[in-house]
Amino acid sequence: MNVSGVSVVSRDWDEVADVQPASESGNSLGTSAHDQQLHEPLRGWSAFSTTFRVMFKEEGRKSLEFAKKRQMVLFPLLLTLVTAITTIGLQFLVGDSSAQVSDIESKTFTWQELRFALHLPLLMFSLGMGTFAFMGHDAIVHRSGTKNYLLAAPALQPLPNSVAHFAYFIKDLSFYVMLILSPVVAGMAVGILLESLAGISTPLEWSSLPWTWIAMIITLAQGLALAFLASALWMRGRPFTIFGPMLIVALGIAIGLGKFDIGTMLWGLGVQNSQSILGTVLALLASLAVGLCSSALIIDDFDVSVVERAELLTPIYNRLGFLGKGEIRLIVAKEFVDLIRSGSIKKMTVSYAIPLLVLLGMAWLVDFAEAPIPINLLSYAPFLGFFGFNFYSWLTILDSPEFMNGLPLGVPQLIRAKVVVYFLATSWISLIFIVLMAWRLDEWGALPTSIIVMFANSIYIVALTAFLMGLRPNKAIFDASIMIWFWIGTVIPLLLLFLLSFTQGDVSLYGNWWERTSEGGLAATAAMYDQSMVEQGYKGMIAISVALILASALLWKLMDRRWGRAEFSN
Amino acid sequence: MVESLAPLVMAEDMAKKYGDFIALHPLNVEVHAGEFFGVFGPNGAGKSTFIKLLTGQLRPSKGRIEVLGINAVSDPQKVKANIGIVPESESPPSFLTPVEFLEFVAKLRTVENLNEQVEHWIEWFGLEEKRDTMCKDLSKGQRQKVMLAAAFIHKPKLLFLDEPFANLDPIYQRKCRHWLLEHVKNGGTIFLCSHVLEMAERMCNRMAIINNGKVLAAGTVKGLKKSKDETLEDVFIRLVGRSIEDVERLSDEGVKDKDNEEE
Repeated sequence: MNVSGVSVVSRDWDEVADVQPASESGNSLGTSAHDQQLHEPLRGWSAFSTTFRVMFKEEGRKSLEFAKKRQMVLFPLLLTLVTAITTIGLQFLVGDSSAQVSDIESKTFTWQELRFALHLPLLMFSLGMGTFAFMGHDAIVHRSGTKNYLLAAPALQPLPNSVAHFAYFIKDLSFYVMLILSPVVAGMAVGILLESLAGISTPLEWSSLPWTWIAMIITLAQGLALAFLASALWMRGRPFTIFGPMLIVALGIAIGLGKFDIGTMLWGLGVQNSQSILGTVLALLASLAVGLCSSALIIDDFDVSVVERAELLTPIYNRLGFLGKGEIRLIVAKEFVDLIRSGSIKKMTVSYAIPLLVLLGMAWLVDFAEAPIPINLLSYAPFLGFFGFNFYSWLTILDSPEFMNGLPLGVPQLIRAKVVVYFLATSWISLIFIVLMAWRLDEWGALPTSIIVMFANSIYIVALTAFLMGLRPNKAIFDASIMIWFWIGTVIPLLLLFLLSFTQGDVSLYGNWWERTSEGGLAATAAMYDQSMVEQGYKGMIAISVALILASALLWKLMDRRWGRAEFSN
Repeated sequence: MVESLAPLVMAEDMAKKYGDFIALHPLNVEVHAGEFFGVFGPNGAGKSTFIKLLTGQLRPSKGRIEVLGINAVSDPQKVKANIGIVPESESPPSFLTPVEFLEFVAKLRTVENLNEQVEHWIEWFGLEEKRDTMCKDLSKGQRQKVMLAAAFIHKPKLLFLDEPFANLDPIYQRKCRHWLLEHVKNGGTIFLCSHVLEMAERMCNRMAIINNGKVLAAGTVKGLKKSKDETLEDVFIRLVGRSIEDVERLSDEGVKDKDNEEE
């Protein structure tokens, strides 16, 4: 060994020319591997397959940790059961059950409408779950915390970040196909089977099942890939963070206005309609290609920025005087600091506002009074509550709460603080939206009721999510028992609100539903209008809203019983 | 340059800035084959940034870095494929068992006799009883052992260790220390970051002391001492800009406070 003359010296920052790191420079510094045989890192398929297999195992364990084995098995069974019942119920929706309801001649829904109703929510779900670039960044930033995931492995191991992300995309796709889509198709099969065993009629055919399964996989893959692409572009910074949302809003409006054929936009629906093998292959390849391009956009950047910031906690705390002097105020202030410092407030505000801007844009361009379902200001109010689940989920993954285990705090306090943060961070957007919508639709009379419904519904959905799922909503989606309660708790009140809103209070419409639809189809729903019935409908909606607020207060109280002994962990 | 004298690691004006904060001022460093090189400094001195830049985990704001003849800025994957890294505070993936994680790392690094190697390191670190326990349920020390095993499993000649013994019990600290010294004797090279000066005394043949992102002094352990009586701790206190009297006064105040509390 010879180390003579070797120096380790520092210089001042300005002494060294401000040039880019020497990745471009071809000149070697003169180091050598000596007798060590150098290895090439695994790339391409070998790196992908090695990572994918282990990631799949990791995902199974992650889900099991929260949901436990019993619920994990119950969840697909529940989906199968619900789909089997829906399959049997299809005869009433498509009016093909002449054997049982002989007086219905005209169809209430077309198959095309039902297919659309299957694919659109699936696309929305997958768009919400596919922001893998954000997830990857979070995994890398938090890799020194108490939990570490394979998605952060490229920081230390010779594995390209892009390969790890593509493996994650395929892993999630496979997992959802296995746990959601396949049980749904199995449920359809059970429904058809009952036709021969129990003499129950269903219009669904065996031959349509493989196509439905494949078409749903395509829609799922498309949604995940598009969300992956959007998040990957967002992580690249400007100009994508400016033009990306604008493009999405424009696209959303264009789709809403029917400028694009929906079969072309929803690849899965197109495949299900055409049943073309070539179309299937192309749509699958296109989804995978979008996923692959998105992963190629992920760079090997493991920087965790060290930035000094001005004190935020105390100024925010001081502004929250209306929350009293308890711990909630302090935790809410801390959550807001997390939200701002992590940059998530921008991300969340944009993703919360985009669908609303699309709706607003559509309202600007379309006369909804002529639409088959008369969407009005009151219909939007309960709709806004749906965004609560996603926003609350994000709030729970901002920071690891483990450090709170050593503080004199309880999990219910943190959960309540997150609900408050959700309300404070989003309610102003919802309020602006609903006022703009009232202006556009010229429905000022419905505005006070809409605001009450909107706030009641938002608070209720988030309180219910928080009560049922605590600090781990993302992991609760495979827990059958939680999802049953969530479904019951949301579908019943929301359905009531929607139905009341569509008729502008004309509740009698639903009394003679069968008769009216058989006469004029869905277009008949806007036919009757009676001022006294409108008032009755408004009262009904306000009554439901009051009930939702009371239910939220009850859930708020019960939080201690459900989560009082839980440990801080997400 | 004569091949035998060529360094394994070399950085020229390597620097890192986060926004306006300079984490590491431009510095030059060379590490040669067979060296046990240590970087020491107080908390937040820039030690981890130093090691992360050399191992391709971070992209430098300035300068050039080369490891084993590979440009660490343009091809960090290849650098990672040929070295072993033990990070300061990172844990193995929470939902994998030690065996699964080591298998994953060994496959990525195309280790021959994979199962044999995994079993060897599981046994070496005394993790037999925890082999099928998920890493999230291991103690800090056990997780550290898994990370060490993952860095050793492909038998790299060049190892980068950031506070490698922070959570290990004295028995395994000793066992690892012996293994590392043996590794260097057999031609291996080690780059270590720590604030535990005892490690420098016991293991390093060359060291650098850094503070606020700047190298304050570098050389052999012996060479850094002004006199025979000066300890490495004295050297450290002197270099980071505190007087020994100040530090002793702070320690005395601490003892007085404790005495007052007890009274």
